[in-house]
Amino acid sequence: MTATFVFILLALILLAVFAVLAARRGKDQTDLDHALAQLRSLDIVAFRNLVDPLEEDFLRSRLPAHEFKKIKRERAEAALAYVRALSHASLQFARFGDVAQRSPDPAIAASGKQIANSAVNLRLQALNATVRLRLTAAFPALPARPLRPLLEQYDRAQYLMLKHSGLMRAESRAS
Amino acid sequence: MAQWFNFVYYYLWIAPHVFLVAIAGIMFVRRLYKNYPIFFAYTIYETFEFLLLFIYSLNGHNFGSTYRYPYIATLLGSTALRFGIIQEIFNNIFRDYPRLERLATISMRWVTGLLVCGAILSVFYASASAPADMMIGVKVLDRAVAIIQVGLLLFLFSFSRLFGLFWRSYTFGLALGFAVLGCAQIVNWTIGLLSLTEQSKYFLDLLPMGVYHISVVVWLGYLLAVEKPVGPTIYTTQDIDRWSGELERSK
Repeated sequence: MTATFVFILLALILLAVFAVLAARRGKDQTDLDHALAQLRSLDIVAFRNLVDPLEEDFLRSRLPAHEFKKIKRERAEAALAYVRALSHASLQFARFGDVAQRSPDPAIAASGKQIANSAVNLRLQALNATVRLRLTAAFPALPARPLRPLLEQYDRAQYLMLKHSGLMRAESRAS
Repeated sequence: MAQWFNFVYYYLWIAPHVFLVAIAGIMFVRRLYKNYPIFFAYTIYETFEFLLLFIYSLNGHNFGSTYRYPYIATLLGSTALRFGIIQEIFNNIFRDYPRLERLATISMRWVTGLLVCGAILSVFYASASAPADMMIGVKVLDRAVAIIQVGLLLFLFSFSRLFGLFWRSYTFGLALGFAVLGCAQIVNWTIGLLSLTEQSKYFLDLLPMGVYHISVVVWLGYLLAVEKPVGPTIYTTQDIDRWSGELERSK
């Protein structure tokens, strides 16, 4: 009887999950203002400094071990906030790319596809960075691996977005 | 059986298959069978399966042992096609994302492994307490299969949501319909394993039939809503300027 109850409960929970997914699908739209606010909160220069291995080496050479661990943990936690913002930005890029992909103009559609792919890669790198930074925050004595791929991916996504807006401007001027 | 029961029973048995024919027709006209060949085959297969079983039933073989064998044989075909459809949904979601497709394939293999283990456990647990009967065995196995299928669909929904992937209307509808159907099958086969009176069994039959009807309506609804976009179809130049302004600033 317990097993019966567990199976039925499991199926009902899953059913509720699928119902929520279906209901939220229509609301999964890009909120442009929210997306821009996310981008505004990104201080990439500060983030680059936070995850710069040279900065870390400098701090290690100047600070006592226990102080360095404390600072390293704090820096990892601060960097996590930036990674979270980058991760959210990647979702907005993906949505933006998807909308552009549906354009009847082949050039804009191709550009949209590139943006969507780049956004997915950015999200992957952001998830990877989140795991690494959490490990660093938990075990500051462990050597941290550089987050260069994440920053490179962000630069690429940003470049593609700017290229796309140039393309859109040229299209609107031509029409 | 009461007249209303017979009416509901036959409605729920016939109507979804009429809708399935409509789905196959729409897919053919819109050439969607190119993207979803297995689902297209499934709609045709289910229609022929219905015709076969319905003729059997009309000839007085309803629920007898002669009905049982074609029922099990056609159920096997449906189950195999449903796995094929899940693969088809997977291919359609990740086709444009080669890097993500590799990661999703590896993750899906692990998830399938875990789900198969869970399904095997559920079979062992149920077969220890259930009486030895072929139909009981079918129920236990089909519940295990439903667990795997629902689990795989949940994985697809979660994984694509994690990466902000957009699902086309009919892809979403297809997955949603099968997910709802899978959940109902888990409930149906679980209750079916209990010792029920003959009358209760008849009433319990209405559950999967009703949910199957809902799933078919979901497929049809999403198929008809295929052209309806979710969210903006295009950003205005003003929007683009705001985006690029922010991006330039954060460089």
